[in-house]
Amino acid sequence: MTDVNALPAAVRQPGRVGAPPFADVVAEHLDAVYRYLVYLTGDRAAAEDLAAETFERAFRSWRRFDPRRGAPRTWLCRIARSAAVDWFRAEARRQRREETYSRDEALLEESVFAEGLSPELDGALRRLTPAEREVVALRVLLELDGPSAARVLGISHTACSTRLSRALKRLEEEMTHVRD
Amino acid sequence: MSAIDWNELDGYEALVSELRANPPAAPERLRQRILEGAPVARRRTSSKRRLVLVVVPVAVTLAVGAALVHGLVNPGSKESGAVPGQLGLLGPARTTPTADSGKSVHRTFARPRPGKPALNGPIVKAYMPSHLNALAIPKDRLVHADASLQVQVPNRSALSEATNKATQIVSSLGGYAQSVQYQSERKGSGSAFLTLRVPVDRAQTAIARLGQLGKLLSQQVSTQDLQQQLTRQTNQIGSLRRAIAVYQQALKSGTLSAPERVEIQIKLANAQHSLRLVRKARSGTVASGATADISLTLSTHNAGAVGGGNGGGRFGRLLGSAAGFLALEGIVVLYALVVLSPILLIGGLAWWLLRERRRREETRLLASA
Repeated sequence: MTDVNALPAAVRQPGRVGAPPFADVVAEHLDAVYRYLVYLTGDRAAAEDLAAETFERAFRSWRRFDPRRGAPRTWLCRIARSAAVDWFRAEARRQRREETYSRDEALLEESVFAEGLSPELDGALRRLTPAEREVVALRVLLELDGPSAARVLGISHTACSTRLSRALKRLEEEMTHVRD
Repeated sequence: MSAIDWNELDGYEALVSELRANPPAAPERLRQRILEGAPVARRRTSSKRRLVLVVVPVAVTLAVGAALVHGLVNPGSKESGAVPGQLGLLGPARTTPTADSGKSVHRTFARPRPGKPALNGPIVKAYMPSHLNALAIPKDRLVHADASLQVQVPNRSALSEATNKATQIVSSLGGYAQSVQYQSERKGSGSAFLTLRVPVDRAQTAIARLGQLGKLLSQQVSTQDLQQQLTRQTNQIGSLRRAIAVYQQALKSGTLSAPERVEIQIKLANAQHSLRLVRKARSGTVASGATADISLTLSTHNAGAVGGGNGGGRFGRLLGSAAGFLALEGIVVLYALVVLSPILLIGGLAWWLLRERRRREETRLLASA
């Protein structure tokens, strides 16, 4: 873990009352944001770019962040989601234009989500839609509670629970299918 | 602390454990990239909330300040609402709010009467509060004077007495009452409207004595210099007389040819006609300068209603004027809101529709990618 005190002065902005310094936020939440983006995009390189973009956006609007309105992780995930949606749009346009699916081919060749995952789980995750993967990431990996995850997704708590339930069920089905 | 609702994950423990055991970790290069690429701290920008916190008080302060300045500059009229309806009953009179020495008053201006000569000279008007002397009417020049007085009397019997006394005053000064309207009601209130004419040189005396008939509420005197007009008319008469004399001399000489004689006769006739007109106009000018017109309003209305005794004084008028201005500002804002509200409504609806469309597109995108 990086020593926060060794961070450049630019990211050690004078904090406001109730808001942690931005460098602490980076140190604490970078992994979570990255995981979320990896699961959402299914593309590590894209997730890296999007994570960098997310923290740049967050830095720009850090003074507007109000910790009373939500946890930093939720706030960062919303920014990350917005950046990822823009990326998906751009990808869709690009794919329509080029009619190539090189990204999908790359997905099949290497482990995308994590090195330690079983091939069945990794394969099953690939088969989920981004919407299903992101709810799994938020609720399971990042361990956000229902309301926070729903806020990130922009849906109701009930819809979030339903989506999670369906995603996990489908994940299990896909794993079974891969084993068979 | 994990806030996960475990009911939702029941049955998937193995899956969850495996996922959690192998989370993707952010590479160190990404961490360095973010920390090194973090932009330099920027100048603090105002958030929407801060903007609202600044703009709203500033707008309110400006509105109140403008109202107070308006109140200070134009604190309203002492006579505003004075004797409601009286001036309308006068017939040939109207009221116009104007400012005089930083004080706004309602002046009463007499309409020019038909048949009176056109008054082209400079007009001098003055509102004279009761504690000040009336405007001095110059006696060494020909001037036309108009005066308007509002006098309050205690009751109906005093009104009758004051009306009679007013006619006596102008008669004693060589003038006369051109018209008298007397009105009284059952409740004991009443009013009288007198149009008086007095010689100009005695107008000041008349105004002073008429003002003593009761409580003087307002007094207005206006003068118009007619001397220049008189001099011009006199000069015109002189030149016309000389021209007529020349024409007559030429006709008597007998040296003119027939056409020349006819031409001179025409010129003579024109000059004589012009002379008659200018003489008539000069007579009118002299007559206008000989008498002063005084409009006297006598009423029994109480001072408060008339406006002579404003309870709040200048401060009260200031507040009243400021409140009026604020109300005007409110009307303008309300009008703007009424006009803009459909546009805002349509804009809000369009924004909502776009947002919903964008959300659906996002959902479709993430569900199918």
